[in-house]
Amino acid sequence: MTDRTPDNSEVQRMSLESALDVLARRREEQVVVGTMTANGVWREKSPHDLNLACIGFMGGASTLALGVALAQPERDVWVIDGDGSLMMQLGSLGTIAGAAPNNFLHIVIHNGVYETSGSQPLPSQQQVDFARMAEGAGYAQTASFGDAEEFDAALDELLAAKGPTLIQLYTRPGGRFYSARPTPPGITPALARMWPPVAEALAAD
Amino acid sequence: MTAQSIPADLLLSAIREAGVQDVVLVPDTHQRTVLDLLMDDDHIRTVHCSTEDEAIAVSAGLIIGGRRPMMQIQHAGLYASVNNLRGVGLDGQFPIVMLIGLLGRDPELEPEADGSSMVRLCRPLLETLGIPSYLLDGPDDLHHVAAAFDEAAERGGPVALLVGTTTS
Repeated sequence: MTDRTPDNSEVQRMSLESALDVLARRREEQVVVGTMTANGVWREKSPHDLNLACIGFMGGASTLALGVALAQPERDVWVIDGDGSLMMQLGSLGTIAGAAPNNFLHIVIHNGVYETSGSQPLPSQQQVDFARMAEGAGYAQTASFGDAEEFDAALDELLAAKGPTLIQLYTRPGGRFYSARPTPPGITPALARMWPPVAEALAAD
Repeated sequence: MTAQSIPADLLLSAIREAGVQDVVLVPDTHQRTVLDLLMDDDHIRTVHCSTEDEAIAVSAGLIIGGRRPMMQIQHAGLYASVNNLRGVGLDGQFPIVMLIGLLGRDPELEPEADGSSMVRLCRPLLETLGIPSYLLDGPDDLHHVAAAFDEAAERGGPVALLVGTTTS
């Protein structure tokens, strides 16, 4: 039995920008995989040659990051995931917990909606709790924050501990809407342009 | 034609000779004897995934990080993973080699003549996606394993190896 009656409508929520500011202040040489609306904001706040993005395969950010983390055990790898994205490949929580990379930080932006497609509600929008799911899957540590100052105060201790760690950040939807433009024939896809320089940087280090 | 069973130790040797460092897998009944050997292998790491689309993304991440992975899945998982195969494998131009078991295939028939849609549609799907595939119908076909890695690197994209009958 649980004594908790989940109701996400009552949780405190911060802005996406304030949440990512907290992370950006700790950015050093981590590989960071972003996805969906948070990715654009992250790249503005923390431009870096070790940024990767999950674009065009929604749900794949966390396992792309897992591969990098397993290949580079001495380097911290962060993924800035979305709640809708994680819902699409929820089994990845078990995959990540099973692989148990100590260097893996899983940020989940919990705004409760599919923001890129027009802010439609997530399934179980009012109930879903990814920190509890990750705890059940076997992550080493989990935490949730809805206030940027509290997140800021707790983050260093969370980063110092062994992962895999999942931090759920309750944020307010920002109304960011993404409408894909047609891709001209013959264009090299963004992912194919993006990852080779990251691979080269990692190999050179 | 009659497909012959490939002994697990020979397939493992071919995987080793191809320089594989990580096998990213969702278990395949067809290749269970190889899986048993891989999980006891001291030199090749296995990464166990919940779904095949995860296996594609994990493989891509390993490649970015400088490793040489190989995916090992079942044909049903190929169908389940098409969006990541497209979005990661094709759009990302990742040299991912996939070992795919044709569970339930009649070894007397070409896969396209099989009664099971999972077997019959496998090569047509790969062809639609523009992914080269090679049938491993016996020990004589194991040279395709190392060659698949060369081809994947050269073309910048996935290559599939179809395990034609149960490994022994």
